[in-house]
Amino acid sequence: MKKKTFAKILSTMMIATCLTACQGGNTPEQAPAAASATPTEATQNGNAELEGTLVFALWDNVSIELFESMDLEGRFQKLYPKANIEFEKLKDDSEYWNAMKVRASANQLPDIMYNKTFTLSRFQDYLLDLSTTEAVKNNNIAEGYRLNGKILGIPEKMTCEYVYYWKDMFKEAQVEVPTTWTQFEEVAKKLQAYYGSSNPNFSAIAIGGKDEWPTYPFVEFMPALISGNGQNWNTMSTQDEPFAEGTDIYKAYQKIHSLFQSGAFGKDPLGIGNDQATALFAQQQSAILASGGWALANIKEGANSIDNLGTFYLPVRDSESEPFRTITQGDSFLSVTSSSKNPELAKAFVEFYFSDAWYPDYINAITDDNTMKTVTKEKDPVLAEADTLQPNKELVMYDGGGDNFTALVSATTFDYKKLGAEMLIKGYDLNSTLAELNAKWKAARQSLNIQ
Amino acid sequence: MNSIEKMRNRFIYLSLIIPLLLLVGFVVIPALDLFRMSFTNWDGYSQNSQFIGFDNYISMFKNKDLWVSLKNNGIYFIAHLIFIPIELLFATMFTSKLRGAKFYKSTVLLPYIINGVAIAYAFSYFFSPINGAFDSLLGLFNLEALCRNWLSDEKVVNYVLSFVSLWRFSGYHVILFMAALQSIPKDYMEAAEVDGASSFQTFRYIQVPSIILVIDYMLFENIRGALQVFDIPFVMTAGGPGYASSTFTLYTIKTAFTFGNFGLASTMAVAIMGMIVVIYIIQNKILHYSNGPSGKKFLSQKIGKKGSKKEVQG
Repeated sequence: MKKKTFAKILSTMMIATCLTACQGGNTPEQAPAAASATPTEATQNGNAELEGTLVFALWDNVSIELFESMDLEGRFQKLYPKANIEFEKLKDDSEYWNAMKVRASANQLPDIMYNKTFTLSRFQDYLLDLSTTEAVKNNNIAEGYRLNGKILGIPEKMTCEYVYYWKDMFKEAQVEVPTTWTQFEEVAKKLQAYYGSSNPNFSAIAIGGKDEWPTYPFVEFMPALISGNGQNWNTMSTQDEPFAEGTDIYKAYQKIHSLFQSGAFGKDPLGIGNDQATALFAQQQSAILASGGWALANIKEGANSIDNLGTFYLPVRDSESEPFRTITQGDSFLSVTSSSKNPELAKAFVEFYFSDAWYPDYINAITDDNTMKTVTKEKDPVLAEADTLQPNKELVMYDGGGDNFTALVSATTFDYKKLGAEMLIKGYDLNSTLAELNAKWKAARQSLNIQ
Repeated sequence: MNSIEKMRNRFIYLSLIIPLLLLVGFVVIPALDLFRMSFTNWDGYSQNSQFIGFDNYISMFKNKDLWVSLKNNGIYFIAHLIFIPIELLFATMFTSKLRGAKFYKSTVLLPYIINGVAIAYAFSYFFSPINGAFDSLLGLFNLEALCRNWLSDEKVVNYVLSFVSLWRFSGYHVILFMAALQSIPKDYMEAAEVDGASSFQTFRYIQVPSIILVIDYMLFENIRGALQVFDIPFVMTAGGPGYASSTFTLYTIKTAFTFGNFGLASTMAVAIMGMIVVIYIIQNKILHYSNGPSGKKFLSQKIGKKGSKKEVQG
């Protein structure tokens, strides 16, 4: 009898514990309801009484340093004296997305988080609509990223992809800035032959293949640049065999494969990570580095002088008669999560972030382009060189792929960054991989019923 | 039941409540939920998921990259398995009257104390193709011909990573063996000495049977560790090039976070638990069969015989 009583007590305690744990967080649907007033109203009403601590998660080293040196929290507290900001820095973007994913499932996202084009749709159930904010009204490109009628993140910058190069090394090896893919491949080979003969550690193009993601300027963006279709991943979702001969992705990957197998990446591009590759480029152990505008700060940090540093856009076209295309996209989308305990304050922070009290100083301190109508910004002279070389370039607005593409990636395990790294393996058989991907893609579309 | 017994029982029950709740809350419920998730297509983001039966299990068996990863786990397993007798020999040497044994004891444990990620980082620079210390060492001895792309050559990368794993964990194994060897009653050793047993005979018939439980534990740890190896390949190669140095755990994490397939990743987690248990049972059977038809009983009888000899002589 006593055993039964004990068992009953134990069961009751366990159920109570589980129920308490389940009640611990608001559901994503419940949390937004707590925000009765929009931040716009709050700001207009001068609601300086808003209080609480906002957790702001990010991975970008440059941003976190600027937030601290330019006193983001102090400036915000001038408007909202009772508010605090807690920065949560994660090692890199991979770790950041892993952490956010785990925390989303536990409804423990930070109050403010950064998103990218391709993560807005993934986190859409956990982000608040920012459509009514002044920040959205003053943003040049936010409307373009509306999802199911909502604006879930405001892009703080426009990013472009560049090819960094050392002008003095080009001059000594007697090569010119390339304007077609064939020229680019030839330049890389000539540089490798010229400098590699006396320096076994030299690589014409620096790439941290060990980390896989540094292959993205090639494998992620080139298919979109081939046709000028920034929605290429979404287009792929509508095709049964997107890797078949003649498709954008096929053409792009054949070009990349040819370059990656040419030996222009040095003796062991898969043995070094991005930090090492950037350091080697900064020390002129490499002549070329393909990366985003964000990499300029790292190059400056590692280089003795940047007097001879120049940029050009990656030439993907086959001939000079074709249009010269380059990729651009909104980046670092500031979002307020539904897990926020202070959604009103979080929205007020977003308004502040894109206001004159913070944004102009911040955007002028980083290398990327501005997204706000209220601000004008001159490009960094090193990055502006790419524009000077290609004044008539065609901009391709990149989209990271929607729900169907994500579902197909999951089902087929298509990982373009890993594939890029694999293309660096000597003798890698790309055609059989593409054929295999075609078969998997077709089967996945059928099983997922994607039209 | 008198009042003291009642109080004792009440105390036992009360003492058990907290650990039991913790066990249920943090082990049993998550394990059951993991098992449930392995039958769903949950993507890690969505509020809902669908029950898809055994699709994940079928998909897992058909995944050739996963099999490559599992094969790589096998290399760690075999490397550590080969090293267990060597570690045991070292432990025996260090427990004997070896000159400088104390120094060796502290040195041998050092790699285990250092943070695993730090070790992996250090070794990735050691084997780096640009200014790597290992290639420089080979150059110093005019062995440049042996230089390889240590972290990107599919043929050698897993052996390099296994070497780092051995470097890190062997010392810990040696210390565990030493602790076990030191717990053997001195009477047994003295009796063997009086009987004129050689060092090998003492090792084979006294020391090994006396620490058979520790050896058992070590073999289990080898299976668990080899199947769950993560930090060394993750930091040094990220499982690359391609999936050449990926491991089962690395691939499971990639499935969950890169491919957004938490359902399939849960299936893999269930599979790894199953594999650990199955391999351990098989290994245990082989080990005890090789020690005689009745396994541990046979070994304990031997110890008993040695002990009784001493008693007779005493």
